[in-house]
Amino acid sequence: MNATAAVRGAVGAVLILALWETLARGLALPAYTLPAVSQILAAVAEHRSVLQAAALVTGFEALTGYVIGALAGIGVATLLILARPLRAGALPLLLAINSVPVVAWSPLVLLWFGMGVASKIVMVALAVGFTVFLSALAGFDRVDRRSVDLMRSFGAGRFGIFWRLRLPAALPLIAAGLRVATVRSLIVAIVTEMLGAYGGLGWIIYQSVTLIDFVQVWAAILVASMLSLAFFGLVGALERRLIFWR
Amino acid sequence: MGMPVSSSPSPLLELRGLSKRFGTVQALDGFGLDVQPGEFVTVVGPSGCGKSTLFNIVAGLDEPDDGGILRFKGRGCHAKELLGQVSFMPQRDLLLPWRNVVDNAILANEIEGASRREARAKALAMLPEFGLAGFETQYPHQLSGGMRQRVALMRTFLFERELMLLDEPFGALDALTRSMMQRWLLDVWQRHRRTILFITHDVDEAIFLGDRVVVMTARPGAVKLMRAVNLPRPRAPDLLTSPEFTAIKREVLDAIEEEAMKSFISGTAAPP
Repeated sequence: MNATAAVRGAVGAVLILALWETLARGLALPAYTLPAVSQILAAVAEHRSVLQAAALVTGFEALTGYVIGALAGIGVATLLILARPLRAGALPLLLAINSVPVVAWSPLVLLWFGMGVASKIVMVALAVGFTVFLSALAGFDRVDRRSVDLMRSFGAGRFGIFWRLRLPAALPLIAAGLRVATVRSLIVAIVTEMLGAYGGLGWIIYQSVTLIDFVQVWAAILVASMLSLAFFGLVGALERRLIFWR
Repeated sequence: MGMPVSSSPSPLLELRGLSKRFGTVQALDGFGLDVQPGEFVTVVGPSGCGKSTLFNIVAGLDEPDDGGILRFKGRGCHAKELLGQVSFMPQRDLLLPWRNVVDNAILANEIEGASRREARAKALAMLPEFGLAGFETQYPHQLSGGMRQRVALMRTFLFERELMLLDEPFGALDALTRSMMQRWLLDVWQRHRRTILFITHDVDEAIFLGDRVVVMTARPGAVKLMRAVNLPRPRAPDLLTSPEFTAIKREVLDAIEEEAMKSFISGTAAPP
């Protein structure tokens, strides 16, 4: 993103927030419809220690699940590329599992892994794992046949071709998958928390709704979106640095 | 001066009665050719005549159909045994975008298991000869087409094999760059003393470079004409207008014309 785009984005955000504030105050909207931005910010400031602790829990779940899922996704895709027969057997099963929205697994995962952080980590790892797996597999397959032939003519075996050609050629797609997965990891962590947890931003949202404290719901959403944006931005920056040849 | 064409008793590469069929398409049918050590042999032919199939076999990428003979260094072998034994340069440069000039050039050496440090040192020393001095840390997207082609050629030369296969290496370059690259290639070839099998569409290029020009028939590919080019080396551009050159060119063009008409009439002038 260049400087002009950043300025435009900031101006746009400020305008929308100003409009929001004016509408909420001008129309005297009740908090359960739409609280004013200033009210939400005040709530964030007031409950910052609670929100901070919750953000730490959710962030830990999302990040741990993300790392496990990303490694597993790339690992399984690698395995299927290096062992062709395995691919024919395993791919339909994996696609069948993936065809169900990942959240549908949450009751079972909560049952198996309990209400604590473990179940959230498993859910995030599942969601991230499939996203990264599919983009990695597509990336590994995308290489030019002629480049593979060239490497073979130099005497390269399957492993050499993977390491020197398929893996680097797949990096742009893997990175795109990793970038998309950042947001998914937080969504899945929060949704799973809402279904049963001892802490975290999702748990706060759920609790605040039952307590009819909608300003607090918005405060938790704001923190969650900040967390998500930061994660997305960090991975995006890493991607631009690492994949310089695009 | 090219190596003597006929006096050497053992050719580096012997092809006899080589055939290859893909489904219903007979790409090669009874192709035969001997290549002597140090020789520069050019291959011309109409589009879709099986030139690329021939190269894929000699590079070890495709197995010929049963019945033909393939001998390398005097020993009969399967095509796949040639993988890693010949230095192959395909039509497109196929440089890896994430590797800089030096690391692209040493790709084959790396695959061979050579020390990366030594291979890099060798490549760095070779850069000026390939007109790439000062460009060692540039990436392919920062280079012109001619430079990319020279990096690909350098990769081919660094993979030190007696036989080099060059598949239309200058096909994508403009005429001026092309003629400069031709003279430069002859220069490098004479210094490094390799054996070269060179595919081209361009008759001038085939005669200007080669010790021998092989004209292929329309598909199925076989040898239409084998013409020795007894022109002195080193060769200069004014050779292109000499009567000796023109005489050879006439002969080669007639042979190609005949084949091109055949494939045009049969309406199967498919890409290779």
